[in-house]
Amino acid sequence: MNRFALTVSHGIARVTEAARGPYQAAMIRIGFSATWLLFLLREFPHRLELYGPDSPWNWNLAEQLIATNGAFTALMWSDGRFWFETVYVLAVLSSFLLLLGWRTRAMSVLFMVGVLSLQNRSIFMGDGGDNVLHLMCIYLVFTRCGQVWSLDERRARRTEEARARGEHVVDRVGPLLWTVLGLGLVTVTFLGRLDGDWPIPVLLWIVWLAQALWWAVGRFTRSGQSRIMLDVIANIVHNGALFVIMAEACLIYATAGWYKIQGSRWQDGTAVYYPLHLDSFSPWPALADLLSANGVMVMLVTYGTVAVQVAFPFTLFNRRVKNVLLAAMITEHAVIAVVLGLPFFSLAMITADSVFLPTSFLRRLGDGAARARGRLRARFAGGGGGGGKGAELPGQRAEETKGGRGPDASRNPGDPENPEHTHVGSTA
Amino acid sequence: MDVYDGGSNARRAPDEPGEPGDAPAPDDAPAPDESAAPDDEPTAPREPAASGEPLPDPYPDPRTGVAALSLRYQVGVALALAIVAVGVCVHIGMVFLHVAPQNTLTKAYGRGVDDWVFPEFEQNWKLFAPNPLQQNIAVQVRARVRTADGGSRTTGWYDLSAQDGRSVDGNLLPSHTQQNELRRSWDLFVATHDADNRPVGLRGSLSETYLRRILVLRLERSEAAGPGDVLVSVQARSRTTNVPPPKWSTDKVSEQPVYRELPWWAVTADDTERNAR
Repeated sequence: MNRFALTVSHGIARVTEAARGPYQAAMIRIGFSATWLLFLLREFPHRLELYGPDSPWNWNLAEQLIATNGAFTALMWSDGRFWFETVYVLAVLSSFLLLLGWRTRAMSVLFMVGVLSLQNRSIFMGDGGDNVLHLMCIYLVFTRCGQVWSLDERRARRTEEARARGEHVVDRVGPLLWTVLGLGLVTVTFLGRLDGDWPIPVLLWIVWLAQALWWAVGRFTRSGQSRIMLDVIANIVHNGALFVIMAEACLIYATAGWYKIQGSRWQDGTAVYYPLHLDSFSPWPALADLLSANGVMVMLVTYGTVAVQVAFPFTLFNRRVKNVLLAAMITEHAVIAVVLGLPFFSLAMITADSVFLPTSFLRRLGDGAARARGRLRARFAGGGGGGGKGAELPGQRAEETKGGRGPDASRNPGDPENPEHTHVGSTA
Repeated sequence: MDVYDGGSNARRAPDEPGEPGDAPAPDDAPAPDESAAPDDEPTAPREPAASGEPLPDPYPDPRTGVAALSLRYQVGVALALAIVAVGVCVHIGMVFLHVAPQNTLTKAYGRGVDDWVFPEFEQNWKLFAPNPLQQNIAVQVRARVRTADGGSRTTGWYDLSAQDGRSVDGNLLPSHTQQNELRRSWDLFVATHDADNRPVGLRGSLSETYLRRILVLRLERSEAAGPGDVLVSVQARSRTTNVPPPKWSTDKVSEQPVYRELPWWAVTADDTERNAR
């Protein structure tokens, strides 16, 4: 009994004290927003045919269907071309800003609105990749996915530094953004455009009110208590959402795997051959023929696919096995991207997988990316005539490693945009 | 090996029949769901150990955070914790029942599950399962055209799926308009019509208009009607051919294509004028 109580209190401490998996959360934020952003850019020439008011699935057809299911889509608020273009551009913009982690929470809401608006407008255009994004964009709203690798992180750091220097920092953009979005929300609510199914409109209102509460508590309350409570609640919600995202990924694999077991083609070991020979999914027929030339290979891949999908959820209990399977699945999806011509589906699935990647790996990934960025900047600055700046960088890096704080220290290596920062860091 | 159609938001009735076997397995699948939340990331917090750096204590002093709060606020936290815990469990349970085969629970509470899941959490992950599609279904169309001089002619068949197939060839980034639009609209039509091509329900009639508009759009792109000509009506058919089994297989399948021909549909002004170019 005592041990049980200990475990419970341990568990409670873990879900309340921090928003777990900051790197994993940032990874899926970046992954899903990048997938959607690239998709929108790729489909830009086809946007009218896919989601436009006069698309084959035109506004009237969509209206009749949505009247029956109440799905959320801002595109039904008007059948005008201008409104459509506005929504499309906002969807592009919000996914880009979410990718950068600028005002992450607000952007995650706009990102969700963009994904749902376009997808629910033309539900017969999508495939599995769209389905993954559809679910994940909702879950993402509940996470604190901008803790690392984001502009928000940098802003928080700078604010803290400024406060440490005794400066008075006031955030004007946040309240402004909140006001603008709030005006929009109030308007559409009173115009009766949110009369469909209730969960999404309610979610929009809750997030908006919560943001106000968060700001007000930070501003007006004297004791830190309510602030801490809100922080803890945000952690709890984040951890719950991250858990749902993981469970969702497991359900995807479990469903895909268990249903395959029942199929005769998956049993006789030829299943993988067939999709490779469907006209819509064989962009590289010669490659498909090559891959499916050997019966034993096809059988091994067929059986391997089922085994990995079925096994994956269970391997979460063993880190090493989980990582091996993760690598296998990510590889398989990368192959699918090219061989079956499903790049966006694959990118979405790889992103979903990446919520299970180990933190150490993600950190190394982040460091690598930051170093590459630093080098790029240095070269750019050097080539562009700002030679001095370029020459500074290696020195900064050396200093950091001398500091001996290991990989963590280079998380924001020598941020060339903010030379001040390194000063502060080295004198502190 | 996943998907092509997986997502199929095609809100069909929960698919159950025709599934060989009763899939006892998926009941085991949600094992991770059941576990208490703290187990959720076996990976994340423990990992830093691998990098060999001084560990940020995975369990920092528990006296901060909740413990720093007075009782009043702790109650607030406890309430939030309870709500989130219940919400997470219910949601995962609902989604699980939604993707699981029909079972004792869904027979009894299927309505509740549907109410929860639809429309935003609908999902279908039977990716290439239970069996991958083993047929190429080509959608073809022809048109009756009133010519500029008052005559009338019937065009030959245009193989729209073949056009799509060609535009996907060698394409690293196939568009949904090439890969999904026609294919899924045909699937929708077949799923919402009986064997005599009569529509079933609202979706049936919607899908007919949808398919017709796609056909008209594609015919216009192919310039089926010359300058001054008017599209009067269109007719679609599907040509289904089996994918030849692999060389090493002993399976034999018919190589004869099977056709399904739809009736002629009159083209409306809306189809031609207000249709994405």
